[in-house]
Amino acid sequence: MKKILQNSIKGIVSPLVAVLLAFLVGALLMKAAGNNPIAAYASLFKGAFGSNHRIAETVVRAIPLIILALGISIAFKAQLWNIGGDGQFTVGAIFAVFVALTFPLSNAMLLPLTLIAAFIGGACWGGIAGFFKAKFNANEVITTLMLNYIALYLLEWLVKGPMMDPKGHGFPQTELINEGLRLPILLEGTRLHMGLFVALVLVMGVYMFWRTTLGFKTEVVGQSREVARYSGIKVNKIIIITMFISAGLAGLAGWTEVFGVHYRLLENVSGGFGNLAIVVALLANLNPWGIVVSGFFFAALVTGGNTMQRMEGVPFALVDVILGLTIIFVISRVVYRRWRDKQC
Amino acid sequence: MLEQILTTGFLVSLLAGAVRMSVPILLPAIGEIFTQRAGILNLGLEGIMLMGALGGFVGAFFTGSLWIGVALAVVVGMLFSVIMAVLSVTIRADQVIAGVALTILGTGLSTFLFRVIFGIQKLPPAIEPFEAISIPVLSNIPILGPVLFQHNILVYLTFILVVLSAIVLKRTTFGLKVRAVGEHPQAADSKGINVYLIRYICVVIGGAFAGLGGAFLSIGYMNTFLDQMSAGRGFIAVAVVIFARWNPYRAVGGAFVFGLASALQLRLQALGVPIPHQFLLALPYVLTILVLISVSKKADFPSAFTLPYNRGER
Repeated sequence: MKKILQNSIKGIVSPLVAVLLAFLVGALLMKAAGNNPIAAYASLFKGAFGSNHRIAETVVRAIPLIILALGISIAFKAQLWNIGGDGQFTVGAIFAVFVALTFPLSNAMLLPLTLIAAFIGGACWGGIAGFFKAKFNANEVITTLMLNYIALYLLEWLVKGPMMDPKGHGFPQTELINEGLRLPILLEGTRLHMGLFVALVLVMGVYMFWRTTLGFKTEVVGQSREVARYSGIKVNKIIIITMFISAGLAGLAGWTEVFGVHYRLLENVSGGFGNLAIVVALLANLNPWGIVVSGFFFAALVTGGNTMQRMEGVPFALVDVILGLTIIFVISRVVYRRWRDKQC
Repeated sequence: MLEQILTTGFLVSLLAGAVRMSVPILLPAIGEIFTQRAGILNLGLEGIMLMGALGGFVGAFFTGSLWIGVALAVVVGMLFSVIMAVLSVTIRADQVIAGVALTILGTGLSTFLFRVIFGIQKLPPAIEPFEAISIPVLSNIPILGPVLFQHNILVYLTFILVVLSAIVLKRTTFGLKVRAVGEHPQAADSKGINVYLIRYICVVIGGAFAGLGGAFLSIGYMNTFLDQMSAGRGFIAVAVVIFARWNPYRAVGGAFVFGLASALQLRLQALGVPIPHQFLLALPYVLTILVLISVSKKADFPSAFTLPYNRGER
């Protein structure tokens, strides 16, 4: 018990230091730019937690973020650098909305179907990259990123073309999905929706996944492709399956966002959650429960970042700066470790 | 429609456009050849390019001199890439994650600084970009002249840099050291080559080229800075490097293909071809994937590629 406690404290301290350092550099940047960093961070905090409504907004952002980060964590653990969360999210959302708007079924039948469609949509999009990695050794960082751009244009074409709402006065958006399909609101007067439970179930699911044979094989492939091969694991198959699951989760994140918040497809529906989710997953050291914590944290950063821009005139891009710095400090902690080991 | 496409005028303008559009891919690719030859994968090119684009624009805007803009872009690219060098060489961090971090940081920082420096304005601040220079005699050659010899100075400079880089990599001691470090760092070390230093230099050379590539976007092609104006070119450049098998001359061909895709996209759109323009816009990205799957399997990566070197370990 004591050991578990010690380990979890160790697990919390180093990401916390990374985040604090990132915020410190962010403060210096604001200072140099002539802003008051304390006032800016105060407005950021207030924007994220200032009222029930603000807290609900933070949670609303945390939902897709946590699901995306869960997906990314699965790929990263297998040393597959899936950075295509945005594209997979988008294609998942497209598939789900297409199903919701096309098939004349009862809502009870349709809703699970849209969920499956979202998973398959995302999974296929990422599966392409996984397949190319396994078959042709094509660098998945580049292919998943390229697929992000392609998905973005695909969505733009759909909402301005074949899927555009005919009664939408030319707005680039699809029709609304019918009311029975929308995720119920949990808290009256806010946008907080049922997707929260979907996210928590998925956290549990990914936690269990690492305890299955497939999860174990995935981890072995991540530690060493050679070892995996020698122990009889079909590495290429695992690569494709891992990307499939990882991207499928991203598709589900798209589902929660569309069925819980927007109720339709819009341009740029993924809103850059992909990048954010990479940081969320890394900061949590790819641990599913850690992802919940860091997911809420970064959701607060984004929600508050908007307020900070409005109130203090600090550009929202500062949030991206903090994200980039956080990763840099997270991967730099080995230096500290090496230095500490030398002291002993 | 087809008659409009099959005219000399259209083809000449298409090819000239392709040459121009290949530059912001070719420049970062050439730099990345140095970096990868030394065994480091720098996936942060995108972020470095954006910082370079901003540096180039700021320099040109405030001094009124495009060349100061270029110089500032190169310096910014070098400084920003030092972060990658520290992470990959000294800290021995995972290079993929470091590259992604650099891209996120560069994207955010360039947008942040642009907003801070210029505020929110109705009209975006602009400069007069580099003008096209027609090279006497050569530019009068039919077809070839307008395609190759009526560009701005940065385009010519790029092709000079390609030749210089090829010579440096192939015919100088430094080039030999770079390759040794990328193929067999232990052996290089035992011959007295400073592995860390060579890797630092190569990552920074990569940064200089990527910074220049960014400057081409903001002051050689457009006349302003736009958020995320590199639009994935940093990553496309990495694909070009693999396609080029780490040879600068072959990179020219690779970058030209992407330049052609971009130029074609613009011109077909202008002609009103009945293909949704989003499909045309996605063309370079689709092409990148196709190129990667066709060359990656056979690619002969430097042996020490992405492997951090640690003097203590044998």
